[in-house]
Amino acid sequence: MSNGIAIETRGVHRSFSSRKGFLFNEVVATEALRGVDLQVPAGEIFGLLGPNGAGKTTLTKILATLLLPTSGQALVLGHNVATEALALRPKIGLVLGGERGLYNRISARENLRYFADLYGLPLARRTGRIDEVLARVGLSDAADRRVEEFSRGMKQKLHIARGILHEPRVLFLDEPTIGLDPKSARETRKLIRGLVAEGVTIFLTTHYMFEAEELCRQIAVLSKGRIVARDTVAGLRRLVGGDRTMELEAYGFEDAEIGRIKGMPGVSRLVAEEFGPRLRLTLRLRTNELLPDELLRQLPGHPELTIRERRTSLEDIYLDLVEEEAN
Amino acid sequence: MAPSEVSRGRTLLASVRLAVLQFLADPQWLVPSMIAPVVFGLVAYELFRGSGANFALYAVLGAGMMSMWGQTLYGSGWATGQDRELGTLEPTLSAPTPYLWVVMGRVVWNTVSGLIGGAIVYVVVVASYGRPLSVPNPVGFVLMFVFVIVTLAAVGIVFAAWYVYTRYAGFVQNVGEFAFYVGTGCMFPVILLPFWTNPVSLAFPPTLAVDALRYVSIPGYQGLSWGFWGDVAGALATTAVYLAVAGTVFHRVEKHVLETGNLSEW
Ligand SMILES: Nc1ncnc2c1ncn2[C@@H]1O[C@H](COP(=O)(O)OP(=O)(O)O)[C@@H](O)[C@H]1O
Ligand SMILES: [Mg+2]
Repeated sequence: MSNGIAIETRGVHRSFSSRKGFLFNEVVATEALRGVDLQVPAGEIFGLLGPNGAGKTTLTKILATLLLPTSGQALVLGHNVATEALALRPKIGLVLGGERGLYNRISARENLRYFADLYGLPLARRTGRIDEVLARVGLSDAADRRVEEFSRGMKQKLHIARGILHEPRVLFLDEPTIGLDPKSARETRKLIRGLVAEGVTIFLTTHYMFEAEELCRQIAVLSKGRIVARDTVAGLRRLVGGDRTMELEAYGFEDAEIGRIKGMPGVSRLVAEEFGPRLRLTLRLRTNELLPDELLRQLPGHPELTIRERRTSLEDIYLDLVEEEAN
Repeated sequence: MAPSEVSRGRTLLASVRLAVLQFLADPQWLVPSMIAPVVFGLVAYELFRGSGANFALYAVLGAGMMSMWGQTLYGSGWATGQDRELGTLEPTLSAPTPYLWVVMGRVVWNTVSGLIGGAIVYVVVVASYGRPLSVPNPVGFVLMFVFVIVTLAAVGIVFAAWYVYTRYAGFVQNVGEFAFYVGTGCMFPVILLPFWTNPVSLAFPPTLAVDALRYVSIPGYQGLSWGFWGDVAGALATTAVYLAVAGTVFHRVEKHVLETGNLSEW
């Protein structure tokens, strides 16, 4: 592992077998990861972006020593996650998030104290450090309340507090803002930015492009267990280059019309979506030549047609990438 | 700040502390741990009344075992099942201390609460009896009582591993519970069971320990043919085997769950 690389994976595969049925136990195999190669630089926020079921949690758990890869190798801070888990664990933190994963009947402070002991936090520093992280995530006032009284956002903050308690050098955050109200989500993102400023390497998974765009310098897009793109945010933007995005909306289009538009020079992609009674066609254009007027000529008999050109967003690229993989 | 070596003793203490805090936080625990022994004591007293000179002793032993075995034998496994349900099993296993030491802490707590239950039974029966029990060998009685608990705890550790292994452990346990209870002779001496059950029963150290306890406390008791010392030796040997395999079993189970990835199932 070269200097400055915090996480490195080579050909990581992971399959799960689950059983279906009761009497005739049919074993169903799911390939959650199909050969993941990644390099995550130390000291920055790396974003792993992907839709539900892409394999984000699976990869996160493998890197955090909670799951073994079926094949391939993963190194975190130079430790092999499969064979050197005990040496690695004190140096990493994992935040799986969600409503679960906390002792609900006891206070936030007691939850933290338990894990401080499990991580062998120096006794002299224990109380001080717990106060520190509670303040850090904004839970000082709620520290002695039972966790069962906490809101979703407060639980998420407590998860993060536990994740950073032992001052890990690498922090894994699996969809840290999922299910949070916008205000809590913003606070959580602010907290994450603060951590990386202190030199912690953060591996963050999300299915929101805007979140990755806001927080991360480098992004990898995971789709169906494969990395389909890996670049800096700026690089991903360049990927779009001079691409234009145009949206056509009308009360329905004929299949033949859609076919004609698809066949026009420069149209690299066409997605049809329904919006109530209206149908929207989103076009990605790789040329400056194609003008709205030409499109209009292809679609006679749609007096109510609206055409709108807009900037291609990273979200568009992300959806393109994920869909290409699916087809 | 990451320490090079995480203390196992500290994990064990933290685990005891957590168990106590959770106990105090949840009043429902008062039922099995405090009220059940009172009920068991009263029922056993009525049940055994008039069945010979030592009936009060029989009542103490029967009810004492009944209130202790569940706590001590299954308490630790149950807590692990609880970890699964709460989703705390994953963060706990991702800590740098082997999970076995968390379980050990729970075993210590369950042993203590099992003993408290036993003491409650004793007080209830003596109060119903109206005068102190004449135990022929009080020191031996107390020692063997604790010994039984230790053997139960040893089996309890191995049972807890089962809870880490699969989310179905609770179901399997509920089915097996009754058989185990009868098989170890907690309810009535194993000697009364059909012969074929003996090898199974004898694989459980508490069977022998309970028999030894009866030898010590009931005058003229005729239990397993090898007598008191045979019981003690056998119980010690089987307990040692359980404790020795516990480490290996946990190590294997932890590896297994990382392979199958079923830690978050519940
Ligand atoms: N323990 C498991 N047993 C069986 N299948 C699983 C298990 N965990 C994940 N999977 C499957 O692996 C795929 C990837 O899941 P996951 O990593 O949770 O995706 P994501 O976090 O990106 O939503 C999904 O198809 C999921 O159903
Ligand atoms: Mg996930």
